[in-house]
Amino acid sequence: MAVFFTPEWAEEVREAVDRGPGEELRAAKLPAYWAWIDGARASYSSSWALGVRDLAGGGPVYLRLGWKDGACAEAAIVGPDDPLDATYVLVADFATWRDLLAGEDPGRIVMYRRLRLQEGDVLRFFRGIYFFIESVAAIGRVAARLP
Amino acid sequence: MPEMSREKVAAVEGSALGQIHDIDIDDVLDYVHKDLKRLPGYIELYQRYLRQRWDVYEIDFAQDARDWTDRMTQDEREAFTAISSGFHHGERQVEVELPVFMLGGSEESRIYMSSQIEDEARHTVFFDRFYREVVGLPGDSVQDVLDASFQHVSETFVGPFGLLAYQADELRADPEDLAARVRYGTTYFLWIEGVLALSVMKITLSYCRNAGLLPGYYTGFTATCRDEARHVQFGMRFLREAVQEDPRLLREIHETLRTILVINGATSRRLALEALGWTQDEVRRLMIRQLTMKLVDVGIDLPPDVQQMISNIEPELAGG
Repeated sequence: MAVFFTPEWAEEVREAVDRGPGEELRAAKLPAYWAWIDGARASYSSSWALGVRDLAGGGPVYLRLGWKDGACAEAAIVGPDDPLDATYVLVADFATWRDLLAGEDPGRIVMYRRLRLQEGDVLRFFRGIYFFIESVAAIGRVAARLP
Repeated sequence: MPEMSREKVAAVEGSALGQIHDIDIDDVLDYVHKDLKRLPGYIELYQRYLRQRWDVYEIDFAQDARDWTDRMTQDEREAFTAISSGFHHGERQVEVELPVFMLGGSEESRIYMSSQIEDEARHTVFFDRFYREVVGLPGDSVQDVLDASFQHVSETFVGPFGLLAYQADELRADPEDLAARVRYGTTYFLWIEGVLALSVMKITLSYCRNAGLLPGYYTGFTATCRDEARHVQFGMRFLREAVQEDPRLLREIHETLRTILVINGATSRRLALEALGWTQDEVRRLMIRQLTMKLVDVGIDLPPDVQQMISNIEPELAGG
């Protein structure tokens, strides 16, 4: 099992969000919902930096996911002293990440502002919100060894 | 819309909680819209609040609890719970997100806004009581009951309400930023209050009235709808004044509507509206009507692409 917020874990996350949910998970929601997400994703070429504010040993540290024409093309871990370039920068504390990995609903995490948008246009970001939410759910399903 | 008779206005405006059960929800919805062209001032709305506020602990849910178990079918209970849960969480969400909007604007606006925050807190308690005493959800705290009802909330709830949360964060950086206030106000006052909330009220309250069920819910939610009249009228006045002050702000309304209407295109669960006497098409028409009435009355012109998006609205039921 990869260690949380390491390059190995980031690559497993990239594969998981690029693959998207399996048939069993898709069957739990209406096809129209997935059609909306497929439409939002089709030409998506933005990047997300998802930070953990208080990872042991300091922070913030970011998981940067780069999308190119609907494919998750890059994944990297960006440290607090490294330059960060992303369309949208969102940050949560470690407790929120731990809850996400334990199965907490990512929509609820957003509603309760436990994951906050620190940089990026709010309206543009929300035009892909369900694609983002399902991608964060996919991140939560990647097993990771926590510090 | 035909003009409301003076008697009907007086009945909606002046009824105490004990009398509000006799008022037809359609009259309350007409009351929401009757002042949209004139739009009362903020202090006038505050004075109305002082006359119309009600005690959420005076509502008697005993008959509702009997109706829930003895007179409603499983399909009706499921549909009602699914729709009401969007409101339960919506009320909590707007109660939490409103204070940042109160930090900006005129003193009159702030005084009025204090009343709306109290309204939203009271509405949250109303749903907390309904879920405990009628639906029978467990919980020692308000949060426990919210946690218990969350399973009934649609995945797409995060669209409008997550947007509001992030817009509140944006506004927190500068509460006097008028463009950010207009974007927030479009999401909250126009869409969440003016379209989603009023549509849910019409659907659930018509069901209760037609079936003769849930008198406590009907009383409290009709009083809630009367509160929404003040909320919508405040919001429409705010948007109209903002655009009059700076016509470029109309673009902020359009951009926010574009985002809201893109979000609205997703549906993750099928709501059994038929169990409550509604079809998907009727709800779609109701939402379009709620939106266009406000835009026309307040004088907000739309570009063709947004008009086209409005004609494609999907039924979405939550509120706050």
